[in-house]
Amino acid sequence: MRSLQLLSLLCFCLTLTACGYNDLQVQDESVKTHWSEVINQYQRRADLVPNLVSTVKGYAAHEKGVLLEVTNARAKVGSIQITSDMANQEAALRQFQQAQSELSSALSRLLMVTENYPELKSDALFRDLMAQLEGTENRIAVARNRYIQSIQEYNATVRKFPSNLTAKMFDFEVKPNFTVENEKEISTPPKVEFN
Amino acid sequence: MQLIRDFFISTTLLLLASSLFAQIALPTLHQPVTDLTSTLDTQQVQLLNDKLLQLSETKGAQLAVVIINTTESESIETYSLRLAEKWKLGRKGIDDGVLLLIAKEDRELRIEVGYGLEGVLSDVVCKRIIDEIIVPEFKQNNFYQGIQAGVDQIIKLIEGESLPEPKQGAKDQDSSFAFVLIFVLFALAGFLRRLLGRFLAAIIIGAIAGFLIWYATFILIASLAAGFFAFILTLSDLTAGKNFLNRSGGFGGSGGGFRGGGGGFGGGGASGRW
Repeated sequence: MRSLQLLSLLCFCLTLTACGYNDLQVQDESVKTHWSEVINQYQRRADLVPNLVSTVKGYAAHEKGVLLEVTNARAKVGSIQITSDMANQEAALRQFQQAQSELSSALSRLLMVTENYPELKSDALFRDLMAQLEGTENRIAVARNRYIQSIQEYNATVRKFPSNLTAKMFDFEVKPNFTVENEKEISTPPKVEFN
Repeated sequence: MQLIRDFFISTTLLLLASSLFAQIALPTLHQPVTDLTSTLDTQQVQLLNDKLLQLSETKGAQLAVVIINTTESESIETYSLRLAEKWKLGRKGIDDGVLLLIAKEDRELRIEVGYGLEGVLSDVVCKRIIDEIIVPEFKQNNFYQGIQAGVDQIIKLIEGESLPEPKQGAKDQDSSFAFVLIFVLFALAGFLRRLLGRFLAAIIIGAIAGFLIWYATFILIASLAAGFFAFILTLSDLTAGKNFLNRSGGFGGSGGGFRGGGGGFGGGGASGRW
């Protein structure tokens, strides 16, 4: 009789988890939270760009090409409408990633150019902006990483048995993940320079 | 350029992290200062430990100093965050942890700041501490002086920030709502059994359990199953259930040693090299 009680108790507790329903809820919320964080950090970076451009202009005004490129890339990023459902739509996500990636490239080119201006590099405001930009890039990397992990966890629950049945019942779908942009660029190992 | 290098490294590691790059093992947290390179002598380690333990006791914030030889193929940012997340420096919810990490052979260092201190130890401030206070000493191989000066400055800034008072012997009660509910149901079941007899009580408890599950999830099968099992349990002797609950309660936390308080990190701070 005792083992029947224990078994019943165990099954009772299991039904409370209701075949992954609660997991799906928690993980869906987690994905949403992490996505907001990603958006926040990208926004933070975009907000730094105008100051950066004007500081560089003070020392390297004739580098018009690069400065214009950065300004345009930032404008493009700003023009993308960020909806709450954006992360679930593959096309919108792709477009967002593309724009951010272009801003990254433009910024890299701008910073490479600033290497030629030692006075700019020792400017206090420029150094502060660089510290902020580096910090933000790191935060973006961390936010992306955590977002990707949350997506993986969620997708796994949506796919695994028996939670996939619950997922189907409540219309929980697999969410798109961040893809590899510029695969060739990334596959070449980064050069480490010692100043 | 640091930024370009870091950006590419972060992105690369992001994609290839788990499988391809072997991540080196992280040290364990025993005391605020962890010197794996024997750069500091015992007395210096003791002085720093005392200072940092006092900070933790009086202010609550947890600052740890780690000296390793190299982060190998990992960027210092990735290693630093991994370590901060493992140790969970800072108090839970307040996130007032700071990690000063020095990779001696790599000639790189980083200040990793928890969410709660990002206001006072902003990226710019951390960069300045590194460039203006720590690196000049490191360049002359004055490692203890550099660390001490950096730590003093960080402590000074933390002291100036208003943080919640550190609690003495605080316990975090992590009660799952479900357990509370089960307990209440069992108590009710026991009461009803005496009042109405076994069978009637079993039906009522079964109905309540079923209804609660239905209300929470709208899954019919789960509700029926829950109701059925609650019915069986109430019908039989409930001692098994009570024993189960007694054992699952009470999460003890033992004191002693310097341990992370559950703080979170978001990648804030700054890196530098000498």
